[in-house]
Amino acid sequence: MRYLKLPHEKRREFLIELKGYGILYAPVSISEKNFDYKKVDDVDTIRFDYNRTVLPPRKYFFPPNETLFKFDKKDCRLIDAYEDPGTFVIFGMHPCDIIGLRVLDSRFIDDQPDTYYKRRREKGIIIGIDCLPDEYCFCNIRDADFADRGFDLFLHELDDGYLIRVGSVMGHKIVDACDHLFEAIKAEDISVMTRKEREKQAMFQHYENWDNLRYLLELQDSHPLWERESEKCISCGNCTLTCPTCRCYDVQDVPELDGNGGKRIRFWDSCQYREHGLVAGGHNFRDTKLDRFKNRYQCKNAYCETMTISYCVGCGRCTQFCPTGINYRKNLMEIRGDE
Amino acid sequence: MVETCSVCETRKPVVGVYALTSCYGCQLMIATVEKILQISEAVTFKSFHMLTSASSHGKVDIAFVEGSVSTEKDLIELKQIREDATVLVAIGACSIHGGVQSWDQGLRDYPEMYEKVYGNGEIAYEGLAAKPIDHYVKVDHYLPGCPPDEREIVYFLSTFLFGTYPERKERPVCHECRLAGNPCILIEKGEMCLGSVTTSGCNALCIGFGIPCIGCRGPTPYDTASFDALAKEFKRLGKTREEVLDRLSIFGSHDRRMRQMVEKAYGGEK
Repeated sequence: MRYLKLPHEKRREFLIELKGYGILYAPVSISEKNFDYKKVDDVDTIRFDYNRTVLPPRKYFFPPNETLFKFDKKDCRLIDAYEDPGTFVIFGMHPCDIIGLRVLDSRFIDDQPDTYYKRRREKGIIIGIDCLPDEYCFCNIRDADFADRGFDLFLHELDDGYLIRVGSVMGHKIVDACDHLFEAIKAEDISVMTRKEREKQAMFQHYENWDNLRYLLELQDSHPLWERESEKCISCGNCTLTCPTCRCYDVQDVPELDGNGGKRIRFWDSCQYREHGLVAGGHNFRDTKLDRFKNRYQCKNAYCETMTISYCVGCGRCTQFCPTGINYRKNLMEIRGDE
Repeated sequence: MVETCSVCETRKPVVGVYALTSCYGCQLMIATVEKILQISEAVTFKSFHMLTSASSHGKVDIAFVEGSVSTEKDLIELKQIREDATVLVAIGACSIHGGVQSWDQGLRDYPEMYEKVYGNGEIAYEGLAAKPIDHYVKVDHYLPGCPPDEREIVYFLSTFLFGTYPERKERPVCHECRLAGNPCILIEKGEMCLGSVTTSGCNALCIGFGIPCIGCRGPTPYDTASFDALAKEFKRLGKTREEVLDRLSIFGSHDRRMRQMVEKAYGGEK
């Protein structure tokens, strides 16, 4: 791997350079306490200190609403409706979100290739940045606190700049095109980086090994926690909407007023809604709120046997953005017998 | 399965837009959608007072009914519409959930209220406590909103013209609120927002302006609204049982589970 140093005073210039590759998306402040990825025109609005965005960056690869194709009843034909987003840059992705995309890749590329996702995935340039955990983070337990791949460039903050890891051919092209901005890595930069890594590791609140979780979830299916916690749930869907690895969708046909044409759209679904498990004949796989509540815990921790990582990356969004304060990590630890 | 317009393949569907006790806002909304000219070419309006004075009762393929049943006259008219229509669509908060005129539903004695307002004065028809129309007749489809959103009005008409039928929205407002990029004002500011128990379709318009949802699109259907969990959170935030009931009653007083679930959250205490 190739390593470079970006001094702090060159950061702005580097960001402007990135804008040359396409639309730049980055975390910005959307309220007193919250951040979200937005299209950035003024690079000074980018927040390097954000904890987590409300929506995960998957929205750029798997849009919340997209037209799959248009149809025409008269000629009985389908019309491709893919809109090429062009090359775009996502700046500031934390390791958990980068690994979250790997989970989506496993479902949308490796497993059953999804053209729509794949086409967008090829257009996205990913610039990661390291972060410090807050009280909601448990990415360390999920082995998602360090991105070893899945990015074009990755930035580690030093005292006077950033240590950059170059992770792809595109990454090399980007740094080559503006190599006057960078310096060579010195021995003291490396020791600053390793010190910061140690400090980061010490900030996590939990360090257990959760490998047995998927079995315990099955074994603890009658645990009183499920009843107690699902009663707190409002079924708003915030936990799944803000999850970087949720990938359920629904499709709908929307006809035109001419009674002839129309389009088929797909949009994010949530297993917390009644209609998610509803099938022909009015049957429902998960007819109660309790069933739906359990499903998310099962899906994130037990439905991932072909992956070496779980479908949960420990980003903490489902807990921070739960209106009734359901604590996902605490619940899992209770199932494990930790708390 | 519900019958769709039986004749849309061969001739223009005949459509009626009717209003019972309401503000006529739903009619106004239909009349002012951007594609109204295209719509009026695609269908024949048998009745639509806001568009044509040549409106009359009679057979229609699709009837859109706004307003709650609040008088004897409303009820007679509604039954006539049901008899005349192949497909009946309840449109708007009044028609689907009784509307704001149902706020006090079940809390006060109707004859007493009636007397207080009208005294001994004679009026042409008898009043009734405001009720959603499906209390009296079979409703085939529900188009919520106060007023409904333009895209949904066009979607409903388009599906009928295509020979299919509209899917009912079940997702709560929170779904569209997150997608709209809003932070949650219940979490961040402790606002008494009803988005989580309210049917979506508005793209969380109010919350986008920092105004908490008051539930104008009505509780999510099929008994999926968790009023108890939400009320518990409001209780934790220091809201009184009365405040919570008042807010939920504006558009949800006819939901048969609402009061009971709020009472459960407050455990009978004042």
